[in-house]
This record gives sequence, C-alpha cells and structure tokens, in this order.
Amino acid sequence: MMIETLIAVALVGALVTFVAPNKVAGKLAFAISLIPAALSLWMFTAFDGSGNALLDGQLAFESRMEWIQLGEYSISWFVGLDGISLPLVVLTTVLITLAIVSSWTPIDDRQSQFYGLLLFIEANLIGVFAALDFFLWFVFWEAVLIPMYLLIGVWGGPRRKYAAIKFFVYTNVASLVMFVAFISLVFGLGDSVTSFALPEIASAMLEGGPGSFAGIAGSTLAAAVFVAMFLGFAVKVPVVPFHTWLPDAHVEAPTPASVLLAGVLLKMGTYALLRFNFTMFPDQVEAFAIPIAALAVVSVIYGAMLALAQTDLKRIVAYSSVSSMGYVILGLVAYTQFGVGGATFQMVSHGLISGLMFMAVGVIYNATHTRMVTDMSGMADRMPIAVGVLIAGAFGYMGLPLMSGFAAEYFIFFGAFGSEMLEYAPAFTALAMFGIVIVAGYLLFAMQRTLFGPYRLETDYDVGRAPLHDVAPMFVLLALIIALGVAPELIFDMIKDAVDPILALGGGA
Amino acid sequence: MATAFEFAPAIALFPLAAFVIALVFGDYMPKKGAFAGIFATAGSLLLSLWVLATVAGGEPYNEQLYQWAIGDQIGFHFGILLDPLSALMLVIVSLIALLVHIFSLGYMNAEGETGLRRYYAELGLFTFSMLAFVFADNLLMAFMFFELVGLCSYLLIGFWFRTESAPSAAKKAFLVTRFGDYFFLVGVVAIAATFGTLSFAGTESFPTAAEAAIDNGETLFGFDAETWVTITGLLVLGGVIGKSAQFPLHTWLPDAMEGPTTVSALIHAATMVAAGVYLVARMFGFYAQSPTALSIIAFVGGFTALFAATMGVVKDDIKQVLAYSTISQYGYMMLGLGVGGYVAGVFHLMNHAFFKALLFLGAGAVIILMHHEQDMWKMGGLKDKAPVAYYTFLSGALALAGIVPFSGFWSKDEVLFDALIVGLEQPLFLAAYAMGLIGVFFTGFYTFRMVFLTFHGEPRTDAARDPHPIGWSVKVPLIVLGVLALVAGVVNLAPIGKLTGAEITFLEFWLDGEYGAIEGLTYHAYHEAVPFAEGYIGTETVTMLVGAGLSLGLALAGAGLAYSLYNVPEPVPHTEKLGSVRTLLRSNYYQDEYQVWLAEGLTLPLARAADRFDQGVIDGVVNGVSSVSLFGSGWIKRIQTGVVTNYAALLVLGFIALLVVLGLHGGWFA
Repeated sequence: MMIETLIAVALVGALVTFVAPNKVAGKLAFAISLIPAALSLWMFTAFDGSGNALLDGQLAFESRMEWIQLGEYSISWFVGLDGISLPLVVLTTVLITLAIVSSWTPIDDRQSQFYGLLLFIEANLIGVFAALDFFLWFVFWEAVLIPMYLLIGVWGGPRRKYAAIKFFVYTNVASLVMFVAFISLVFGLGDSVTSFALPEIASAMLEGGPGSFAGIAGSTLAAAVFVAMFLGFAVKVPVVPFHTWLPDAHVEAPTPASVLLAGVLLKMGTYALLRFNFTMFPDQVEAFAIPIAALAVVSVIYGAMLALAQTDLKRIVAYSSVSSMGYVILGLVAYTQFGVGGATFQMVSHGLISGLMFMAVGVIYNATHTRMVTDMSGMADRMPIAVGVLIAGAFGYMGLPLMSGFAAEYFIFFGAFGSEMLEYAPAFTALAMFGIVIVAGYLLFAMQRTLFGPYRLETDYDVGRAPLHDVAPMFVLLALIIALGVAPELIFDMIKDAVDPILALGGGA
Repeated sequence: MATAFEFAPAIALFPLAAFVIALVFGDYMPKKGAFAGIFATAGSLLLSLWVLATVAGGEPYNEQLYQWAIGDQIGFHFGILLDPLSALMLVIVSLIALLVHIFSLGYMNAEGETGLRRYYAELGLFTFSMLAFVFADNLLMAFMFFELVGLCSYLLIGFWFRTESAPSAAKKAFLVTRFGDYFFLVGVVAIAATFGTLSFAGTESFPTAAEAAIDNGETLFGFDAETWVTITGLLVLGGVIGKSAQFPLHTWLPDAMEGPTTVSALIHAATMVAAGVYLVARMFGFYAQSPTALSIIAFVGGFTALFAATMGVVKDDIKQVLAYSTISQYGYMMLGLGVGGYVAGVFHLMNHAFFKALLFLGAGAVIILMHHEQDMWKMGGLKDKAPVAYYTFLSGALALAGIVPFSGFWSKDEVLFDALIVGLEQPLFLAAYAMGLIGVFFTGFYTFRMVFLTFHGEPRTDAARDPHPIGWSVKVPLIVLGVLALVAGVVNLAPIGKLTGAEITFLEFWLDGEYGAIEGLTYHAYHEAVPFAEGYIGTETVTMLVGAGLSLGLALAGAGLAYSLYNVPEPVPHTEKLGSVRTLLRSNYYQDEYQVWLAEGLTLPLARAADRFDQGVIDGVVNGVSSVSLFGSGWIKRIQTGVVTNYAALLVLGFIALLVVLGLHGGWFA
C-alpha cells in the first residue's frame, strides 16, 4: 500500500492546501510534500524488486485490484515499481518538495491554489510511473496535463494563454494518437489478452504479436502502432520536430512549473517510450533503428544549435533540454546495457540538472526581473552564492565528470558506440557527441555575458544576495548531482537489473 | 607495516580537503586559506617522495580501488598506477603546487587581493585534479580528471571576473580544450568498445590488447587493427593537442595569461598544459603500435615548436613571451615522444616544469617590482635592484634557451638527438628535426630579448626606477626553482655518459625499470615497439656531438643576437624592421581570427538561421495546423472564451466526469 499512500498523501494534501489561507499555503505544502519525499526515500532503501516490471520481474510495493470489467477486458488498479520506475518516483517527490520551496519568493498570488496544484501534479506523476495497467496509467498521464496547464496559464508570463493552450492541445493530440494506436493493438492481440495490465500485453506482444485487425495484417499493425506510439511520445519528450511547444511553455511558465516540466514531465515521454515501444516491440525497434537514431542525433545537434541562438536564459535551458533528451533516445535505440541503462540514468540526471538550472535562472529573475542575456552583466558580483551554484549546474549540464550528467552521457555514448542493433552506430554516436562542444559553447557564452564582467543592470532598487530558501533547494540538487556522478551505482545498479530483461529479448546484452 | 601505497590516495585527497576547507572556512582563516593549501601540498609532496622511494625500491603498484560503474561486459573503475613515470610526475606536480602556494602569499595576499578564499579553494581543486589525473590507472579516469583540470583552469583564468577580458579568456580556454576533449572522449569510448578495457598497465590493458589485435591481424570496426589503433590514438591525441596547446588548438593559451601569474605558473609548468604530454607518455605503449600516429605527434610537435617560437620574438608583454615559449617547449616534448624518444620527452617535461614555473614566478616577481606593469618596454635595469629575482630568472632563461650546463640544454638536446637519428633513416623526420632545430635559434633570441629588456639597460619608467620590494615568500620559491633549473639536468647526462662511458643516465634507468617498474611500461619495451630505425653520421658519438654542437650554436647565436640588439642602455624595438612579417607575427599568424570566425562568423549565424527556420517553418506548421483544424472551427470558438479559469473548470469537470463514469462502471459506488 506504499504507492497508494504516496498518492493519497499528495491528493489529500492538495485538497487541504487548496482551501488553506494563502499566507500559510507555501509552508503547509512544503510540510506535506516532505511526507511522500521521505516515504519514497525509504522505499528506495527498502526496494526489494528485481527484473523488469513488464517482463515477469519481481515488483516492489505491488498492489493489484480488479476495478472495472469492460467487455472482455478487465481494468485493474495495478501499481508496482521496478528499477526503472523507482528512481523516477524519488526524483518526482524530491523535485516537488524543492519546487515548492523555490516558489516561496516568486509566487505572490493565489498561493493556496498554486501549491495545491503542485501537490496534485505530484500525485499524478507518481501514478504515471507506478501504474501498470494501461487505463490507470492513461488516466494519470492525462491528469498531469491539467495542473500543468493551469500553472502555466494562470501564473505564467505575458503570453501564458498561448503557451498553455499550445502545450495542452499539442500534447493532448499526441496522447490521443498514442491512445488510439494502443487500443487497436490490444484489439489486434485478440484473445491472447484479457486485461489492460501492461505485463500481460507485453508478453502477448512478445509471444506472437497482433493478429490482423480491421483488415490490416498483424505485422503491419504492429509497425503502424509502433510508429504512432513513437510519435505520440515524441511530442512529450520532445523529439525534433515536435518540440516547438516546449520553449514557449518554459518561457511563460513560472519557475517551479519549469522545474517540473523539464525535470519530470519530459521524462514521462522517454519513460513511456522505454515501457511501451522499446519493451514491447523489439523487432520494430530493430527495423526503425536508423530513423530513430537519426532523429536522436538531429535532436541533440539541432536543439543545441537553437540554444546557441537564444538570448533569453530560460529559452537557452529549454532548448538544451531538447538536446539532452536526444541523448536519451540515442541510448534507447542502441539497445545495449549501457545504452538503455544510461538513457534511464540520464532521465534522472537531467531531471536534477535541468531543475537546478531553471531554479538558478529563476533566482536571478527574482532579483533582476529580466532573463535577457543582453540586459545584465556581472551578476556574480551581487549574488555570489546563487551564481556559484548556477556555474556548478552549468558545468553539470556540460557533462563535467564526477557530476551525474557525465555518467549518464558516458554510459549512453559507450552503450551506443558498440551497439549491434544499430547500423553505423559509431558514426551516429560520434555525431551526437559533438553536442558536448556546443553545450559548452552556449552555456559559457551566456555565463560570460550575464555573470561576469563589470556589474551592469538598470534597476531602481538594490540587487542583493538571494534569500536562503531560494538557494537551499539548489544546494540539495547539487549534492544529489555530485553524489550520482561520483557513485552512479547508487541507482545504476537497480536500473541495470530492470533493463537487462529488455535486452535479452533482442538477443543483445 | 603501512606502506606508501596505502597512503597514495591521500596524495590527491589532501588538496581536495584543502579545497573544501578553504571554500567553507577560508574567510575566517589566517591568510584566507593559504595555509590549508600549503599544508596539503606539502603533505602531497612528502607522500609523493615516499612513493618515489618505494617505487625505487622495486615495488610498483597497480590496483583498482573503486568500482564506478559495473556492466556485464566491462566495468569502469578508479584505480592507482604508481610506476616510475607517475611517481616522478607526482613529485613534480606537488612540488610546483607547493611552491606556487607559498609564492601566492607574496603575490596575492600581500597585494591586497579580494576573493582569496575562492583563489585558494580553486588552487586546491586544481592540484587535486592534476594529481588524480597523474596516478590514474585507466583512460576513463584520466579523462575525467583531465576535464576537471580544464574546469579549474577555467575558474582560475577567470579569477578576476569583474574585468571584460578574464572571463572571455577563461571561456576560450575551456571551449578550445573542450573541442579537443570531444575527440578524446570519442577515443575513450572507441577504445573501451573495441578492447573491453581501459587500463594502462597489466595483461588486461588496452595497449596489450591492441598489440595482440595487430599481431593476430584482426579487423576492428571494419578497419584492420593497426589503422583502427591509429584512428583511436589520434582521437585521444585531440585532447592532448587541446590541453598541451599544440597547433592548431594553441590559441587559448596566450589569452590565458589573463589569470593571476601564479596560476599561469601552475598551468604551464605542472598541471593543465603538462597533462596533455603526460598522457602521451602514459599510454606510450599504445602509440608505439602506430607509426602513423607517432609521425603525426612528431610533426605537430616540431611544427609547434618552431611556429610558437617565432611568435615569441615580437611580444612586448613579459607573460606573452613566456606563453609562446610554453607552446613551443611542449612542441619539443611532442617531437621527442613522436620519434620514440620516451626518455627525452619525459626528461624535458620534468626540466620544463622547473624552469617554466621559475620563469613565471620570476615574471610574477617582476610584476610586483614593477607595480603591476607587464610591458617589458617600461622596465629595464631591474638587475641591480632585485638580484634574487634577476639571478634566478637568468637561471631559468639559460635553461629555456638550452645553454650548457643548464637543465634545459640536456633535455632539449636529447629530444633533438632522438629526432636526428630517426631522421637519418626515415628522411621524412628530418623535416620535423629541422623545425625543432631552427626553433632553438628563435628560443635563444626571444628568451634573452626578454632578459635584457627586463633587467638590463637603464630603467625606462618611474616604476622601474623605484621597484616595489619583494618578500621571502616570493624569494624562497624562486631560489629553489633557480637551483633546480641549473642542476636538474644531472639526472640524465646522456652526452657525457656516451663520451666517457660512465653509467650516469639515471632517468633512463629509472624509466627503464632498473629500479622497478611494471612490465611493458618500460623504456625498453617501448623502444622495441616503436617501428623506427635509427641511423648515425659516422658513429653515435659523432652524431651526438654534431647535434649538440648545432643546437648549442644556434641557441648561442640567438642569444648573441639578442645581446647585441637589446643589451644596451636604451634599446629600441628592432623588430619593427621586420615590416609585414612583424605584423604577421604580432597577429599570431591570424590563427585567432579564423577560429573566432568559425565560432562567431559561421556557427552563430548558422544557429540563428536554424532558429528562424524553427520559428518560421516548424512552429509555423504547428500553428497553421492548429488554427485550421481546431481553432478555425466555429464550434470550438464558442467555448474558447479566453478566460483561463473557464478552461480549468472544464478540464477539472471533464476529469471528474471521467472518474465518475469509470467508477460507476466498475461498480465502486454500488
């Protein structure tokens, strides 16, 4: 019942916060959010699962209850964790707590609703990573959109309506495509499945795949579903060319929403890709390996080039997320232990690092009320500690060794270079790796212009040091980033355990 | 009984502790954390000497200490490799780091700098990274600390971050070396994927695996084994060329003079720049398998040696002269290693560490004397006013120019000798040798131009007439290094050994494992693997005398020319007579221009074009589709009230409705 407790605490907490007075909402939400954070950390230490959740693995914190019988198919409340989902749950609970603290300074309007939504989104995010029944999972998946839509649309910047609607419609249309595709697949699988439980569907897929459905041959159906689902998730990740909602959403979103958007919401896309496309469709992965790898490389390089052209700090970090998520796709399509394991590691690592970067940009914005690179310089003079952490985070983003980003990228590069599944793997890898030069380029340029040089910022007030509660969450993230960089086995061990059964399917290792 | 090796990790961890202590408590400590660094590096030095003695006692050490990431087929770990090469380098690095820390008391603290806490913290981190790089037992660990060395030099070059120029120089240093490290990382990944190991030493090492693959005629990644070794070796070399500032990635180094002079001493003598060449020596067994890679190393080195030396001729800033001399000197080391002269390369690395640290600290002393003036044309006549600075600087200059019997002569001569004997059999290498040889003349010239302009003649400004005094913390490091620059050559007096038959080439014995080494990592093993034949003019002794005579003659000729032009009471800028050549040299052969163009004239416009494409075409399609299919429809328009709370209400209602329907269907409420 651990997962139910996590979700329930967040949901009840959301309701309580929603009706609490604005003045105390921030502190209250923080206190409530500590419960799931602490519980999930305990779960992390008590984790006793093994193998992959979809492939007959031993689930941790499993619970399953029949819920609805829909024709021939049963829908159940089915949750459980394996080595892939647990780190993402911990990432979610920790980031939510930190995002709440980082909201104390910038959010000064309708606080109770704001913090209530943050807790509400937490409940749904945990659900997305824990659910093992397609219907249940899809409910959580869709429900995440609503609070995020509101966070951007109500507390966002000047163009918040456009950004919020674009975010909502774009990702929702993608979900619809994915949903229809998956349902057709289930129908195509015919009698071999009797429920929407993902492990059952996975084993049906692996034991023969879909028969013909609506006049479409089974193999064609499988390929079509694979492509449709890939496209559906690609919007969420986002993979170029489906990324244009992301910079708009980030620029308009308030800092804590950006932290969650980049830190966790994007990982929903890659997580779903791993759970569905890369677990249930090994043959299709092989067939589509080259175009997927090409999309990954384009995302890395093109995303980084776009970041280079920006002058808004938030847009820079937003586009660099596109680039970083490209590495995840490359790792997945490599289909090796370090490739897929590294991709999963990168999901966690990028969650921490991008969270830190958005917080740092937010702290500077709190003080300067601008994010434009051209508007300021020499901020290190006035905000030495916040800037120090920002520099550390930026180097984390550049993949500095002994920080988690390096471990993630190195695993992916090594895993991809020697991939047997992917033709021309060394060439794809070497091309994608050039991203590490461009990322250094745009971050160093931005830092030089804003943080260093003589202090310059036109304000009619004094810019001083950031308050402790602004910088404390960043230190927590930095500590986690360094811990995972020095000792990646902290989570890589359980990740490998959950990833290995997937690779055994394709005969790779 | 505890052995030195049990304490070996502390060699690197002491400075790491100093970093943490200085960072956290620096503001509350006397001298702002300097003592933490001094004690830490002194501790590292003592432990390094103990390790050196233990290795000399015949006990090398090669252990894995910590599993960083474990896979089914390959694991990545941290480990320590202590053999003659790394033990020697540990002593050099910790010694220079200690002296730089002490010198900083006089250069930074006494000059009333702010930000000293940051300075000492970063210095500690820098030393930690370099020491861990030096004793790394595998290529991945080496890469990781290689990158951290790059981070630290970024931080220290940009120490004076309130200026415009320092942050720019710091960025350039990191970016250019990162470009090199990109190739390095591809190389690491390729080697790991090919051979399944990244260890430097032992039977399970990648040089051994490469040798076996070549012997067995294997095909690796579609290439024959030797070609693949060449490719991967050259990829790793990318990192070396970046860090060791070899052509064409040398452009960051002169700009890096923006950092405090103490930092320059550390970067140039013992850390950042030394890291590249050290890496080639560390994995020499791998490069020895590939004649192509070795030739490229030799030519890059020879060319850089000459190329950088010519630019040093026309510089006015004392630190700029030294910067170009660093590039040039590392070129000699590369030349030595590239022709298979492993001992010569390492010998010059060691000597250069001493005399270049000396010259930079000497330049630091001059800058204190001159009240923070760096233009040599505003100096003059400091000889009598600051004898300690003068004589120690002179010792370093004689070593740099390669004048007998100073240390630099012996090692540079050995490099050139090795290049010559290989060139006599493989004439192609004669070109590399010739470039190195001509470089000697320019080195002699620019070195003594610097000495005469700075210390000789009449004082040309008020500052030079009334220099600021320098204290003991400045003088002590200068004297220590001054003596080393003079005598360090005795460890390998190869020419005298050859003439007299005396067994005095101790460094060669040392690196050859006569006092203990790891099998396969000895000079002999390397020498056998290197596929170059050696030839002589007449006998070996004659060849040696001809070579030594040529290089010494050219060095003296360069120094003599400088003497005649600049050792006068009121020197004038004779280089102006060079006309357009001078313009070319002062513009550094326009290397900066094209690289800046690549970044700002090509990449940035490309990025902006990509951005316009993204906004216009890709996002345009997205917006177009949505306006046609969704928002164009009148039905949608009616609920599109534009009030966000309405959307919210709709969404929440929809969500609740979905739950209720599902719940009812499932009989939850029944």
